Amino acid sequence: MYLVDGWIISIEVTVFAALLGIVIGLLLAIVKFSRKPPFAQFADWYISIIRGTPVVVQLTIIYYVILADVNLPRTIVASIAFGINSGAYVAEIIRSGIQAVDKGQTEAGRSLGLSEGKTMRYIIIPQAIKNILPALGNEFIVLLKETSVSGYIALNDLTKGGTLIRSVTYDAFTPLLTVAYIYFLMTAMLSAALSKFERRLRSSD
Amino acid sequence: MIKVIDLHKYFGDLEVLKGINTEIKKGEVVCVIGPSGSGKSTFLRCLNLLEIPTKGEIIINGVSLTDNLKNLDELRKNVGMVFQQFNLFPHMKVIDNITLAPIKVLKMKKEDAVSKAMELLAKVGLTDKAYEYPSRLSGGQKQRVAIARAMAMNPDIMLFDEPTSALDPEMVGEVLEVIRDLAYEGMTMVIVTHEMGFAREVSDRILFMDEGIIYEEGKPYEIFNNPQRSRTKEFLSKVL
Repeated sequence: MYLVDGWIISIEVTVFAALLGIVIGLLLAIVKFSRKPPFAQFADWYISIIRGTPVVVQLTIIYYVILADVNLPRTIVASIAFGINSGAYVAEIIRSGIQAVDKGQTEAGRSLGLSEGKTMRYIIIPQAIKNILPALGNEFIVLLKETSVSGYIALNDLTKGGTLIRSVTYDAFTPLLTVAYIYFLMTAMLSAALSKFERRLRSSD
Repeated sequence: MIKVIDLHKYFGDLEVLKGINTEIKKGEVVCVIGPSGSGKSTFLRCLNLLEIPTKGEIIINGVSLTDNLKNLDELRKNVGMVFQQFNLFPHMKVIDNITLAPIKVLKMKKEDAVSKAMELLAKVGLTDKAYEYPSRLSGGQKQRVAIARAMAMNPDIMLFDEPTSALDPEMVGEVLEVIRDLAYEGMTMVIVTHEMGFAREVSDRILFMDEGIIYEEGKPYEIFNNPQRSRTKEFLSKVL
């Protein structure tokens, strides 16, 4: 069954890419806040290059150029590519979440004698998480939809499954709309979970 | 206790403080008044180095702050600050707001920090709010908690940056009362305020700031009843 197999592959790629994206995003955000010139500079470059080029182009470059001679399953290659892509966005989400915390909070912490690190840990991060988590959820909804270009490296994901059925049956309507419906169901479920979660976060205010 | 020598502060090309010289003695209550934009808040924020002075020296208890920028946390422990916007930590209950710094900075035991916090809350009249989140408090209550939080570090000096300016009028009194109590207990305080009646009543000395300098200073009755210089007279005639 093309669609079921494709659906599983899409979910696998999304989950692995999301995990990798969080790790990369966290590292980039830490490096950016460390303000250590060579590393912070690297983070800036990374983020602007990734955000300034289409994800399909990144995916094909990674598959056909960077990892061309490495024999990895396509699912892994796609996960790496989307994870590298997502990491840049996650880094920006974390950065803006931290910067959205009122400057007065830092001043209050520092004026009480807390060090920069302790102010971050006890005062800024706990508040930033409330800004970060909802945006992170959105990022994963976007990520799920972006994996639909995996067909460019001949990975049989959900979208590719629909295309294959179309080329075999000469019926475009049913498979493509089914694919769209499955994506919609998945993102709708993610959004519902997300808004429930956001309500819980807000209840402590 | 605090000695300020030729303090200058630039924001970019704008010179906000143009050479401040003053000395604040132990137990003294000094109110800083003056028109907005005169550098009052910047001056106060320089005293615990929330703003780093461009030039000049600040000496607290014989230690030069400006020579010890690496040991800022050590020095800031002794200088409490109360902000116009309260700046309570919204994700912590009132009691945790107060005990955070004593536990993490002074390494106090939790029980000791809590009992000290409860004492302070009793002093500001908010014992019953100890386990509420700040969002459940009125402006006046928030500011009283902020004062208790600063006091929990046993500071030698308390700085107040327009502590009542963000409050509804009916809540100004309760906050001023707490500050007044501290003054009578002999706390050394520097207060930037627009409450002229309060400044006159509570302070030992008034600094009138204008355009980045201390333009005139003196005892409250001298400044309010018999100002010597033109801009002081002009300012007081507008606000009194």
